[in-house]
Amino acid sequence: MFEPIILLQILWTGIATSAPFVLLTVGFSLTLKVTGLWNFAQSGQMAIAFYTMFFAMNGLGLPLFAAVGLGVVMTAGSAVLIEIYGLQVFRDRQSGNLMFFIFTLILSEFVIYVITLLFGTEPETLYKSILSPVDIIGGIAVSEWDKTGIGLTILALGALYGFMRYTKEGQFLAAVADNAKLAELYGISAQRAYRVVAVISALFIVAAMYLIGSHGGIVPNSPLELVLSAVIGTLLGGIGRVFAAAWASIFLALIQSFSILFIGSRWQNLLLYGFLFATILLFPRGVRMPRLRLALIGR
Amino acid sequence: MTSHFALHRRHVLGGAAAAALTSPLAAGAQSKEPIKIGSALPLTGSQAGYGNDFATGTRMAVKDVNDAGGIAGRPVELVVLDTQADPQLGINALNRFIGVEKLPMFLTAWSAVVKAQAPIANREKVLELNCGANSPEIATLGDYVYTAFPLAEVDIVKLANYVFTTLGKKTVAVLYINNDTGIDAAKLYRDTFTAAGGKIVAFEAYDPKATEFTGMLLKARAANPEIVHLHGLTADTPQVIAQMRQLGMTQRVTSYSAAYNPKLLEQLGPAAEGLIVTSLAPGVNDNPNVAGFLERWKKEQGRVPNGLPYVQYEYDMVFLVKALYEYLDKKSQPATGESLIAALLAIKEFDLPMTGKMIIDGHRVNKPVYLLTVQKGVFVPLATLT
Repeated sequence: MFEPIILLQILWTGIATSAPFVLLTVGFSLTLKVTGLWNFAQSGQMAIAFYTMFFAMNGLGLPLFAAVGLGVVMTAGSAVLIEIYGLQVFRDRQSGNLMFFIFTLILSEFVIYVITLLFGTEPETLYKSILSPVDIIGGIAVSEWDKTGIGLTILALGALYGFMRYTKEGQFLAAVADNAKLAELYGISAQRAYRVVAVISALFIVAAMYLIGSHGGIVPNSPLELVLSAVIGTLLGGIGRVFAAAWASIFLALIQSFSILFIGSRWQNLLLYGFLFATILLFPRGVRMPRLRLALIGR
Repeated sequence: MTSHFALHRRHVLGGAAAAALTSPLAAGAQSKEPIKIGSALPLTGSQAGYGNDFATGTRMAVKDVNDAGGIAGRPVELVVLDTQADPQLGINALNRFIGVEKLPMFLTAWSAVVKAQAPIANREKVLELNCGANSPEIATLGDYVYTAFPLAEVDIVKLANYVFTTLGKKTVAVLYINNDTGIDAAKLYRDTFTAAGGKIVAFEAYDPKATEFTGMLLKARAANPEIVHLHGLTADTPQVIAQMRQLGMTQRVTSYSAAYNPKLLEQLGPAAEGLIVTSLAPGVNDNPNVAGFLERWKKEQGRVPNGLPYVQYEYDMVFLVKALYEYLDKKSQPATGESLIAALLAIKEFDLPMTGKMIIDGHRVNKPVYLLTVQKGVFVPLATLT
């Protein structure tokens, strides 16, 4: 099991498997950074994203690009509606954090119940076949799904980085994230920022659900598990550190994958909860790497 | 004592539907107090695809029995409660059967649920009749727990021996889901194969919620088995096989009746070729009633059932219950947990329309095992193990 080829395979598959979780974590973490909310309604949006694409492809027979487009419209639309008619109402009422938490959680459950009634509870996949063509590269099995997942994630993260750094809208998001009231004094609309971040998160959710739904079966309850992995990545990366949360998700996936060398497969999922527990207790603000002190090295 | 309930194709096809309105037997039956049959099945959740079809199979049988005059002149009423294949919900369902419906017996399935319900059934002296779960432990759950479905020791033992002796495979990797369905069956497979002279080169369990199996499969690949036995559920089995093929594992896969599922063929395409599954009920070539039943199912549901062999058992359970009640009726005994068990053991041998002859052997049932393999995208008969 410790042969280089096996270790490389675990490394590659671990990275590829982390792709959808990275996307979900970034969407969740960005929302938390800008709005200051643990938005559990995102699990409902995950369900909307997947089942819209599923219905579009399998019920209406639409091609992939149209199904994804419809998924984006429905997910982003629901996110904006939740923002305007739900979260903003609570903000106007100056409700406490607990109220937001309860609202988003109940909303997710509601959406999932509706989807259960509409689509049933059998595991569904976007494509009829879950097999992805495989190339053997240097002895490592590299599937089309792996390449799509990694490519899509790099593209999404690059686009987000560019948006946040080089566009005015992105800088407004950063300003609102830092101090919403101060940003408004400078003429930046916090409400607009919240809606923009809702749309961006929806795009990340659709991308992630496409990847998950083309790899294996999804039931309406699956997003409740998925949002938990986004929470763990967000906590581990540190609240407000979106790209660190993405790295944390990759790290978690790799830890899970490599753990097979030392523990039985059935214990792998338990590791996630172990990390969540340890992070909350020991690193409530996330794990921060020590910075190199160049000045000291220079002396 | 033997009860005969051989159904003919015409009967199964629903000719009885007309009789429902015209038969004096049926008319008489409707005016008497109904006999309620309780059935605890997963109607929602990840196992609902099977659970709902099981319930449909039972409903069809109830209709046929009612159309033919009911049980001892009384109509049959089916009470199906949802368990989501979850032990706690299974207990809730049983409490309702006992407390609200006042039933002396009930039908159940899914190993974890059957086990969770057993202590209550024993305490309340209610006959718990398993008709779909296969954990070997079910035979030891107590005086009021019986099975009409062959436990894993029937098909798994025969399959493991078949793999060793007929297929000539000497090394096997056993991969299984880490729950009541997988654990006991995997151990049984391991012990049988080892006792036959074979070697288990990998024995790995996976989490029921897992979606990524690469690590486990790499372990199995490193062990270089001649064949892989996979004991999972309907949701995870296709994913494990798909990922296995993607990692370049070309070994033949064996599984059990949960993998005898048309959806699996759709999801796996050519990757399913060579898969061997077990069925504990006769197929269309073995029993003419099954062909009629399938035809009727397709007509009413517009598709084939999920887990046909299980559905056949679910259908037959109504006829088994009919035999028990008619036995008690002849003896003018009330239906209680004790009297129903006494009837079950006294009748012992049942001739059922979909699954054929069934012999209740204490807390176990022995049946032939039908092996099927995937050839050119369809399940075809491979062997019958008696």
